[in-house]
Amino acid sequence: MTNSAIFFVLVLLALVAFATARQRSLRVVDGDTAKLHSLPRHYGYFAATCVLVPGLLVLALWLMFGKSIIEGLVVNGLPDAIQAEYADRITLLLNRIRLVVENASTQETNVDILAAAERFHSLYLKGLWAAFSLSASFGLVGLYTAINRTKADFRARNVFERVLNALLILSSVIAIATTLGIVGSLLFESLRFFAEVPLGDFLFGLKWSPQTALRADQVGASGSFGAVPLFAGTFMISLLAMLVAGPIGLMSAIYLTQYASTRMRRIAKPALEILAGVPTVVYGFFAALTIAPLFRDTGEFLGLDIASESALAAGFVMGIMIIPFVSSLSDDAITAVPRSLRDGSLALGATPSETITKVLVPAALPGIVGAFLLAISRAVGETMIVVMAAGMQPNLTANPFEAVTTVTVQIVALLTGDQEFDSAKTLSAFALGLVLFVITMGLNIFALRIVRKYREAYD
Amino acid sequence: MTQTNAPKMAAKDVHVFYGDNHAVKGISLELRRNEVMALIGPSGCGKSTFLRCLNRMNDTVASCRVEGNITLDNEDIYAPKIDVVQLRARVGMVFQKPNPFPKSIYDNVAYGPRIHGLATSRTDLDEIVATALEKAGLWNEVKDRLESPGTALSGGQQQRLCIARAIAVNPEVILMDEPCSALDPIATAKVEALIDELKEGYAIAIVTHSMQQAARVSQKTAFFHMGDLVELGDTTQIFTAPKKERTRDYITGRFG
Repeated sequence: MTNSAIFFVLVLLALVAFATARQRSLRVVDGDTAKLHSLPRHYGYFAATCVLVPGLLVLALWLMFGKSIIEGLVVNGLPDAIQAEYADRITLLLNRIRLVVENASTQETNVDILAAAERFHSLYLKGLWAAFSLSASFGLVGLYTAINRTKADFRARNVFERVLNALLILSSVIAIATTLGIVGSLLFESLRFFAEVPLGDFLFGLKWSPQTALRADQVGASGSFGAVPLFAGTFMISLLAMLVAGPIGLMSAIYLTQYASTRMRRIAKPALEILAGVPTVVYGFFAALTIAPLFRDTGEFLGLDIASESALAAGFVMGIMIIPFVSSLSDDAITAVPRSLRDGSLALGATPSETITKVLVPAALPGIVGAFLLAISRAVGETMIVVMAAGMQPNLTANPFEAVTTVTVQIVALLTGDQEFDSAKTLSAFALGLVLFVITMGLNIFALRIVRKYREAYD
Repeated sequence: MTQTNAPKMAAKDVHVFYGDNHAVKGISLELRRNEVMALIGPSGCGKSTFLRCLNRMNDTVASCRVEGNITLDNEDIYAPKIDVVQLRARVGMVFQKPNPFPKSIYDNVAYGPRIHGLATSRTDLDEIVATALEKAGLWNEVKDRLESPGTALSGGQQQRLCIARAIAVNPEVILMDEPCSALDPIATAKVEALIDELKEGYAIAIVTHSMQQAARVSQKTAFFHMGDLVELGDTTQIFTAPKKERTRDYITGRFG
């Protein structure tokens, strides 16, 4: 007997309930479905819900609290000596017990622990059976009630509608709660970081070097957490990306909406959107292995000193990556401008390009700005390309030919490998994440507001 | 034929195809200065399509093919040496739904003159805008708010703004595609009065579904049916003594 077995029994019971209630609804009206308030299957759905909801509720309670209650009972049953020994390390004690239960430890010799493991095992089995019988009997009660209520005038359809409604609410609550949870954990860990490093030092400090001393006698690793070089790097790479993606994306959108033949558009538009489907890691090694050496060699040829890991290469490839964002959203914005405006301008003797620059683009401008902002927030959050092509050095420089690093790359660097989760070094990742989150959220809200305002103007 | 009523535009045996659909079948007619021609007929009879051939707006529809001969001052407007942009400056158009640009009233009217470089200075441009708005009978209503958006005007005012926009580039011919179908009766009356005034100096063709409107504003009427030009004549004659049975049936409301 396992937890999943309980679940399967409940599902089976629900299927039985569905079939029975459906049959019964047909029987109470002698097969004349017109006399029923709802369709036979609605009675079936209702019965299945009556079984599943209470049964699953019991199962969920058992899964959430069962184990910790049993653990509490077992620990309290241990002799006081052992309890005192592990007074502030209960987890270790529980691990010792668990190892025995799972037959992983054959070295355990302490009689009390062995007894506790025995007790844990038997309590767990009892709990499992209790959960099973409780949820099964709740399910059966639900089944009985549902069958009893299956009468011709029972509004099963309306009741089922309410059940669906509740399910939809539950889904959105889960999505929202998860978001809040993520924000909450970011905020909480960031506060711990700011308890060690002042907010001002973090936001305005010019030096990023997160190595902290592990022992008091270590030298040269005091750690400094000035985030400015990281945000400057992020800003520069995003700017370079937008310099590439902005004009190319906008102009290809103009071409596709205004000049391309239907056939060309049918081929070119999906082809452009394939760019959005390329995994970022592929862009990353494209940048690192193809573009960066190309730029370096071209730089050598022109007498420029371009590092083999440069902001330029990363920004360029990232720009290629976000072209589809700019082009497809700008495309939508331009297409949404009423045809009558275009005709009006052409009928006044304007050329197609005059029509585009003087009428279509201004009319679509809010949508285009929205497209740019969404593309920027995508660029700001991008990591993989930068890791591979722009390097890891937190340089504070305005020279795109040098290696820089971005916020996201540093977060990766801070959290990969074995880390202690209470050092300032690790916690700084959360602070960076929080600031990044605030920036991209601000951009997104701003962009969506502009896009929405613009939609209202023409619908 | 005297100089004044020589045809401004002439269409000879014009056919229009949308893919395989033969929408306009061999239309011949002439537009003259100081004269309004009404094109009437049931929906889908090809009158709007024909109208859009006269300033080559059908060029923007990919599947559309035009055959036959259309001339402006005896020059074939479909000849390769003709500049479409120039043609459309000479043959203006007003659309069914008012379509002011999302710009200020002033910029709406100044749009055409700016493109074609008709004004050399700001005062010139002010002058052109004011004249166009006066001709369109809108000046008194908007002269104090030239900077407010054209889209904020009422439907009737928007349509008169579009007419002002069209005449600001000094066209010789004005094509109107059901200019009053989106307007209420009062706005319609204003636009009709305007058309009547404008015929001095322009050749005007107007597509309309309202027979009263055709009777009120036009001197010549052409009745289209299923892509054919059924009857063409003086408006009074068409409405009082139509020669063809189909025309009589349409005018008396038996179909369409």
